[in-house]
Amino acid sequence: MNKQKFKILAIVDGVLIVALVVVMFVFKGQLNEQAQTTVKEQVGAYKAAVNTTLQEQWKSMDQYGMAWKLVYATIAGANTETAFDANVKKIFEDTGARVKQLSYMYTAASIPDKVQSDISAVGLAEQFLLKDEGGVKEVACGKNCVVKFTFVKGKLKESDYKALVEYNFAENFTVAKAAPYHFE
Amino acid sequence: MNSKNIAIVLSILVVAVAALVLMQKGNYVGQATEHYNTTTKANYDAATEILSRVNNSADVNKLVWALASEAKQTVKTSQDMAKLEAKYFPTTKGANSIANKTRRFEATSAYFIISSFDKVDVDKKTELKTLSGLNSIDVSALYGEFVAAQEEEVEGEEEEGDEAVEEAPAPAKPAKADKGKKGKKGKKR
Repeated sequence: MNKQKFKILAIVDGVLIVALVVVMFVFKGQLNEQAQTTVKEQVGAYKAAVNTTLQEQWKSMDQYGMAWKLVYATIAGANTETAFDANVKKIFEDTGARVKQLSYMYTAASIPDKVQSDISAVGLAEQFLLKDEGGVKEVACGKNCVVKFTFVKGKLKESDYKALVEYNFAENFTVAKAAPYHFE
Repeated sequence: MNSKNIAIVLSILVVAVAALVLMQKGNYVGQATEHYNTTTKANYDAATEILSRVNNSADVNKLVWALASEAKQTVKTSQDMAKLEAKYFPTTKGANSIANKTRRFEATSAYFIISSFDKVDVDKKTELKTLSGLNSIDVSALYGEFVAAQEEEVEGEEEEGDEAVEEAPAPAKPAKADKGKKGKKGKKR
């Protein structure tokens, strides 16, 4: 009786071994493919997040450069509302000058041309003048940065560019480390 | 007895093969994790370096813009300018060119401004020459515009504490490897 049981157990074991070997070979390919796919997806997602931050910095630097040009032009004498509006338009529409200024800043920061070229593919900032209501004009000067000019009867009453002078670049542009890899 | 031994050996083999199947998964996960960690770390390091360089350089750029803006509103003489420079850049100072009636302040080789004055004043007692009547401030380096090479002859007669410096031609492009650290470049006080 015992002998019979061991025979059955040996047969079951044999079948199990064959089945497990088959499973092992089938899984080998599948696991490899799955691991590669998930790594690619997760690395891609992280790269995209990092690139978004770099592009955000690029666009913010564009707004920052435009804002300083505007502030300086306003201080230097163009302090009527008409002159201000003309300056806003001129600075924003002169894309060649904006690219030149940005490129100069990035070169000054020792960013290689190839890297600049990759980042700049995102284009320039789409917004500059954010608000224009009743003589109050707000201009973007980067991520979380707004400068404000107040005009009364067409004359500059107040220019508040404290946000620009105190702008903290390091606080606004950082990347987080990648989340741990997870295999699904 | 034979059947018993075979059954035992095969049972052990089943457990071993099952363990192999499980280990196989762990092995792939391990390789994938290693590749993921290496790649994302490289991306993180590269991005952090870019962000940090731009942030640091922009910090200097910001101070030069602030200096130029305040100078435009308050400065009348080269001495006023020197005081303002010290406010924004305590360890860097500008240099007068008496011959050209200009004062150049260079925070870094990329970021500099040149102030032009109307006249040269001479202190009768000390014969010290200073500049007065701020006329304009050249901020073209802040605009990122090409600045034509200009040699400024700097005379020995400078205002108090200023060193006589031969002005170098302005760079067509900002010098690379310029980390833009505040007060790192320029003439020390």
